[in-house]
Amino acid sequence: MKKLWLVITALIVASMVLTACGGADAPVEEEAPVAEEAPAVEEEAVTEEEAPAEEAAEISLRWRTRPGNQEEADLYQGISDGLNLDGITLEYEPGGSDTSSYQDVLKTELASGTAPDVFWIPGTDVADFVARGLLLDMRGMADATDGYADADFYEGPMFHLTFNPETGNSSETLWGLPRDVSTFALYINLDLLAEAGVDDPRELEANGEWTWEAFQETAEAVSALGDDVQGYSGSAWWGPYGVWINAAGGNFFNEDRTACALDTDEALAGLQFVQDLYASGAAVPYGEDGEPPFRSGNVGMFQNGRWATPGIRTVDFEWDVVGLPVGPAGNPGNWLFWGAYVVNADTENPEAAWELVQALTTAEVQGTVAALGANIPSRVSQDALDAFLDFTPPANNQAFLDGLANSPTAEGPLWAGSWPDFGAVMDTAISSLLTGETTVEDFGATVCDEANKAFQE
Amino acid sequence: MTSNSTQSQTIPSADAKTSLALKVLSIWHIIFAIAGLAGTVMIWQSASDIADWIKAIVSIFLVLGATFSAIAVFSIRERKHRGRTISLVINYLGLLASFFGGLHTVGFFTGIDSLGETFSKGLPYMGIAFVGYLIGTIGDRYQKDHPGTAQKFRKTAQVVAAIGGVLFLFAVGIVPGTLSFISKFNSLIPILLLLGVIIFGIMVWLMWREPTRLAMHTKGKDQLMLEGYLFLSPNFIGFLFFFAGPLLFSLYSSFTDSDAFGNANWIGLANYQEIFNITIEPLEYADQLAKEVINIEVYDELSRFNFFGKDYVVGAEDQLFWISLGNTIKFVLLAVPMSVIPALLLATVLNSKLPGMKIFRAIYFVPSVAAVVGVAMIWRWLYNSTVGYLNYFITSFIKFVNSFAGSELLIDPQIGWTSDTQVALIAVAIMAAWQWMGFNTVLFLAGLQNIPGVLYEAATVDGANNWQKFWNVTLPMLAPTSFFVLTTTTINAMQIFDQVFVFTQPPGGPGTSTTTIVLYLYRQGFQNFRQGYASALAWVLFLLIFGLTLAQYMRQRAGDEAI
Repeated sequence: MKKLWLVITALIVASMVLTACGGADAPVEEEAPVAEEAPAVEEEAVTEEEAPAEEAAEISLRWRTRPGNQEEADLYQGISDGLNLDGITLEYEPGGSDTSSYQDVLKTELASGTAPDVFWIPGTDVADFVARGLLLDMRGMADATDGYADADFYEGPMFHLTFNPETGNSSETLWGLPRDVSTFALYINLDLLAEAGVDDPRELEANGEWTWEAFQETAEAVSALGDDVQGYSGSAWWGPYGVWINAAGGNFFNEDRTACALDTDEALAGLQFVQDLYASGAAVPYGEDGEPPFRSGNVGMFQNGRWATPGIRTVDFEWDVVGLPVGPAGNPGNWLFWGAYVVNADTENPEAAWELVQALTTAEVQGTVAALGANIPSRVSQDALDAFLDFTPPANNQAFLDGLANSPTAEGPLWAGSWPDFGAVMDTAISSLLTGETTVEDFGATVCDEANKAFQE
Repeated sequence: MTSNSTQSQTIPSADAKTSLALKVLSIWHIIFAIAGLAGTVMIWQSASDIADWIKAIVSIFLVLGATFSAIAVFSIRERKHRGRTISLVINYLGLLASFFGGLHTVGFFTGIDSLGETFSKGLPYMGIAFVGYLIGTIGDRYQKDHPGTAQKFRKTAQVVAAIGGVLFLFAVGIVPGTLSFISKFNSLIPILLLLGVIIFGIMVWLMWREPTRLAMHTKGKDQLMLEGYLFLSPNFIGFLFFFAGPLLFSLYSSFTDSDAFGNANWIGLANYQEIFNITIEPLEYADQLAKEVINIEVYDELSRFNFFGKDYVVGAEDQLFWISLGNTIKFVLLAVPMSVIPALLLATVLNSKLPGMKIFRAIYFVPSVAAVVGVAMIWRWLYNSTVGYLNYFITSFIKFVNSFAGSELLIDPQIGWTSDTQVALIAVAIMAAWQWMGFNTVLFLAGLQNIPGVLYEAATVDGANNWQKFWNVTLPMLAPTSFFVLTTTTINAMQIFDQVFVFTQPPGGPGTSTTTIVLYLYRQGFQNFRQGYASALAWVLFLLIFGLTLAQYMRQRAGDEAI
C-alpha cells in the first residue's frame, strides 16, 4: 500500500512539474506576428525573439488597470471577456489594493520583466516611464491605422502622450491613449446645508455667485452647527490643494514646466486662502481622511473626483454635487485628471497590443465604463458623454462636465524633472503650511530652493 | 609509512567494476576542469551582453570548480577520501545547478501559476484515488482473520487508486504539458542542462555507492559526516542563495547607482557620502534664511540650534534620511516601553491561577496574529478626529467633568491623531504597541512559569511583600526573557514599515512626521528606483540595529557577571 502511495505521489509531483512547464510556455510557443502591415516601430527585442511561426495562431495578451472597487473590477473583466479581437486572447488583471501600491507593483514587475503587455498608468508617470524606456512608441502603428486621430481625445492628455522628449515637440510620438478623464467637484450634503440655512450652492453657481467668499461663508455656517460638524473636507495630496493655487492664477510650475512656481504671488494667495480655511476650524483638519466624516453626515462639502461617486451613493442623506467655487483668476482652477493605457516596451506582440489599446478606448467601451459612474470618457464623443450623464445620482452630473469645459489645468508629468521628487517636497511643505506649522511667507521663501532640485539632472 | 601500508592492507582492493567507475570519474573530472577553464575564457570573450559582475561570479565558480576538479583527479588516483568528498560536492552541486537551471530554462518557475487552475481540475479524480485508499484500509481490517479477502480489497484498492491517478494526470494536463515540455528541448541550453542532470547524477551515484566508498578509504565516521551534510544541504544551499547571496548583493549594490532596470555603475562610497553629508554653519541672526549661509543646491535645512548664545543651522544633503532616522528613534523610544512594560505587568496578572485566565491569555494574543492591514484600518477609524471613537470618548469625558464642575474646567483638545504632526507618530506607536504586546506577554508568561516557586516561598518566609517579591525575585529571574523581549521588540521597532505604510495617508505623513527609515528606504528603492541608494540605507540601518543589539547584549552580560 505504501508503495502505491509513493508512486501516486511521484506521479502527482511529475505531473505538476510538467504542467507548470507547459503552462508557462504557451504564449511564447504559439505567438505569431499579426498578419498586417508592420509599421516601422523601434522594437529590437521583438524582432530578435519573434518565433518564425508559419501560421497565424492565437496571441495571448495580459492587460491591467486600477479599478476603484470590486464593481469596477468586474466591469473591466466583463469588457475584457466581451472584446472580440481577432486571434487575441485577453487576460485581465486588476491591480492595486489596500496593501499594495499599483504603481510600485507595476514598476517592480517592469524591472523584473514580468509586467503585462498593456497597462494603465496615471498621467504624472508618463515621462518617468518614457525616460526609463519602459513604454512602446505607437506612433508608427497609429499613423498606419485607418480612422485613428489624436484629436478624438482631450487635448491636455494628448499633449503629453504625444510629446517627444528628444525634440521637445508634441504630436511626434504616441505613448498611449487616455483611459478616462476626471475633474473635481464638491459633493454636498443638502440636509446639512439646509439646516445651516445657507443658499444652495447649485443656485449660486447658476447665478454666477459661487465664489471663494460664498464658499467660505457656507463652510463656516455649516461648521457652526456643532463641534462634530465641519463645512469642508478634502484629501491630503496635491490635487485638492492644487485647485486653490490654480484658481488664484498660480501653478505648480513655470510656463514650460522647467522650474518651481510655488513661490509666485498668485500661488501664495491661493495657499493663504486654503490655510485660512483650515485654521478657521471650518474644515476637517488637513491630513485626516475626509470621506468618512462626509459619509457619516458630518461634513457639508467634500471635495473629490468622479471616482468617489460610487462610494458616496451609499449614504443615507440627500446629496448632490456642485462645481468648485470661482477664484480670483475668474475660474474654479479645476484639474483635468487622466490616466492612459500604454504598451510595455518589451511586449512580444506590439501590433496586437495597439489593437487592444484602441479597443479599450472606443466610445462604446468608454460609455460602458462611464455608465458605472466612476469615470468620464476621455474620447470627445457625445455618445460616451450621454452615457455618463445618465448615471444618477448625483442629479447634477453636468458639474463634472462643466469642470472639463471651464479651462481645467491638465495634470501631467515633468519631462524636465522628477515628478516624484517634486511632489515629495511640495507635499511636505504644503502639509506644514496647512497644519499651521509654517507661515505662507516662510513657505514662499524656501519651498522652491528645495523643489527646484527635482529639475536637476 | 608503516601505518599507511598497514591501512592499505586492511582495506579491500577495488573490484574491476569499481576501478572502472573510478577511471570514469577521473576522466570526467579532467574534462570538467578543462571545460571550467574554457568556460571562464569564453564568458569573458564572447558573452558581451552579460553584466561584468555576473561574469565575475560565474568565473569564480568555474575556476573554483576546475581547480577542485583537478585536485579530485589526483586524490581519486591515490584513493584518498578527500577525492571522494570533493567529487561528491562538485557533482552534487552540478546536479542541483543543472536541475534547477533546467527547470528555469523550460519555464517551470514562472509557469507555477498555471498549476492552481489545472490542479483544481484534477481534484475530483484525486478523490477516486482517495476512495482507493479507503478501500485498502477497509481491507486491512480482514488481514488477521480473512487474509484472502484482505488481499482482494488491496488489489481493488490498487486498481481504483491507479484509475484515479491516471485520470488525475490527464485532467491536470499531463499530455499537453509533456508535449510542451518536450518541445522546449529545441535549443542547445535545455539539452545541455538535461545532459548535465544525467551526467552529474551518474557521477554522484558512481562515487556514492558502497564499493567506491570502500575503495576510496572512506571511514564510517566520514561517511556519516557526508550524510549529515547531505541532509543539511537543502537548508544550507537555501541559506546561501536566498539569504547570504542577496545580502552580499545588496552590499555590492550599495556601492553602485543601480536603478533595478539593469543599469548599475560602480560609484564607490558616494551613496554613503550622500547619506552622511551634513554641514553646520553659524547664523548672523536666528531667523536668517538657510540659503544665505549654506549651499542650498547641495544641502537642505535640517534644523537650527543655539550653542553658547550663537545660532547655527544644520544642513543635510539627504534631509529625509535624518528626519526618518529621528522618527525611527522616537518610535523606538515610544513603542518599546509601551509594548514591553504593560506586557510584563499583564503577564504577572495572567500568571495567577484565577479562573478564566487561559481565555484572557488567548484574547491578549489575538492582536499579534491579526493582519496588519485590518488592524491599521480599524485604528484609522478609531483615530478619525471627527467621527472616531477615541475623540468621541475624550469629548464625552470632558463634557462629563465640565458638567460636574459647572464651568469649562477642561478644554476638549480635539486631537488630530492622524493629521497633527506632533501626534501622528504617537498614534502609530500606540497601535504597534497594542499589536506587539500580546506576543511579549506570552514570552514573559513563559519566563514567569520557569521561576522556581521555592524562591517566592523563601521570600515569603523572609517577610517580603508582593512588591519586594516582584522587584527582587521576579525581575532578576526574568532577566534573560526581558533581554530577549527588549532586543526583538527594539529590532521590530527599528524596522517599522507595514503599520506606517497602511495606516498613514499618504504613507509617512502628515508631512514627514511618520516617515521611518524602512519606509524611506522603500520609497527610494521601489518608487524612485534608486536601488543602490536604498541598499546603502539598508546597510546603515543594519549597522544601527547591530550596534544597538550588541550594546544591549554587553549590558546584559555585564549584569549577569555582576550577579
